[in-house]
Amino acid sequence: MYAVEYFEVECPEAAGAAYYKQITNDVLLDHNLLKVIHKLHIFIDPKVPVFVATGILKKITSLIRVRDFANINPQEGKMTLVISDETYLAPMLKIFWQRFGKEHVEQPDRFTVILYGIGEEPKEIEEIVVADPSEFLFKDLIYAFRCIAPEGFRLRKEKFGDGKFSFVASENTLDENTDELIAAKFALMGETP
Amino acid sequence: MTLVPVTYKGGIYQHDIVTDLIEDLGGYVVQKHLIAQEVVLQCFVPKDDIELIREISRPLFGEVTDSPLVGTEIAVVSMSLEIHHLPHPSCDIAEYTRRLGAKSNMVSLARGPGKRIAGLNDEERDVINEHDIAVFALGNFETCIEYKMPALRRGIEVPIILCGGPDKEALQKIVDPPVDGYVGNVGRFMHRTKESEELGKLDEIIAEITRVLEKKREEIAKDSLSVAPARLMDLIREKVPAIHEVTSPTPLTVQMTGLRVKLPYDTFAQDIRKVDIEDGITIGDLSDVVPSRMRDYILVKIRPFSETNVVI
Repeated sequence: MYAVEYFEVECPEAAGAAYYKQITNDVLLDHNLLKVIHKLHIFIDPKVPVFVATGILKKITSLIRVRDFANINPQEGKMTLVISDETYLAPMLKIFWQRFGKEHVEQPDRFTVILYGIGEEPKEIEEIVVADPSEFLFKDLIYAFRCIAPEGFRLRKEKFGDGKFSFVASENTLDENTDELIAAKFALMGETP
Repeated sequence: MTLVPVTYKGGIYQHDIVTDLIEDLGGYVVQKHLIAQEVVLQCFVPKDDIELIREISRPLFGEVTDSPLVGTEIAVVSMSLEIHHLPHPSCDIAEYTRRLGAKSNMVSLARGPGKRIAGLNDEERDVINEHDIAVFALGNFETCIEYKMPALRRGIEVPIILCGGPDKEALQKIVDPPVDGYVGNVGRFMHRTKESEELGKLDEIIAEITRVLEKKREEIAKDSLSVAPARLMDLIREKVPAIHEVTSPTPLTVQMTGLRVKLPYDTFAQDIRKVDIEDGITIGDLSDVVPSRMRDYILVKIRPFSETNVVI
């Protein structure tokens, strides 16, 4: 976990803490999430039992626009888009269909999209926002923490937003004072929830 | 004649010579795998004839190695089917035992995970009891293992090997009454076992399984079985042709004291009971042919000499 500034796993059992540090590292690495986490503190107490993960995210600014994955060649009465990365092809087509109508959009093969008879400039097309990765980020993070937390801990309380997140899980009904626990763990990182 | 479990590896060319030799010597081929240009035979052969097999297979570049797990069926008990426990480490353990000749089955529990909520239902218990040995793959926390182990082992009669995150001494301390084998430092992890240290851990599990199985073999030898399970396998193969239609990798699974026949019980149990072994003695005379809890398979449990007064 070289990219993360602060990463600690706190647990009354030392061996358990070491294993969970490894598990957390493996899962976040597999889900490609290490690059978005700035600080992370995990607390596990198998006696209660409770699992708490608190953390700070890095700033994610980039919106995905058409120009990020397609080259536009303007021609007489049409525009040919050469796609270099298919990941965002489906949402892009959906936006084009809504905006220009299906009769103006054609896709002869996987890597080519042709727009016929549209009034807009190539520059405007290039600037169309196709996706916002931060929307999926929280879903991915929740999924990753569900993988990291011991499996029996199915009662969860999670809060994501504003560059911070907290995730509490247990197999018993969660206590009312989980907020205090979360605040204490944020304080260890020198942050407030 | 003592039969010992071995694995033969060699080229596919003229491997029939080896198969015929094993059968002529009174041995049995339990499993046969053809992988590209290679053939792997897991078999029981007479102890005194291993050198002869080595000699005859030398021109074919064959290799004979000891394989103590051949002819055993092992249950790898995983706490659930979720990503938390599969494919690592449960599948890694199951695959490793398979490589060394055992037939391993994964038994995933419906309510295995957690601490207070963990439990075992009657079907799971019965399925585990149909195996020769059960390897429990548990988690990383001492507290949880200590708390849930009594619930998970309730009713399990086969030897248990406990794998968990804490070290071996800690596991021995927290499990009461003791189980048959312990392997520490193999808890839950989420990556493939490929480092030499981790492979060493898998070897440790195999060593522990082998040790416990050897002990069980000695126990069985004190009151020997009326007939060798591998012999019944050969007979059923010969006399119940329907077994050749079964597409499972091992239609007949040899166990230490019996055999799993992967045919429907209602249709074939009577046919199997009637199979003649020798001089009019049938399988039904020497063993209990019972329905298995695993699908609708048949389980043949061979009775010991003390019950039948016959050894064939």
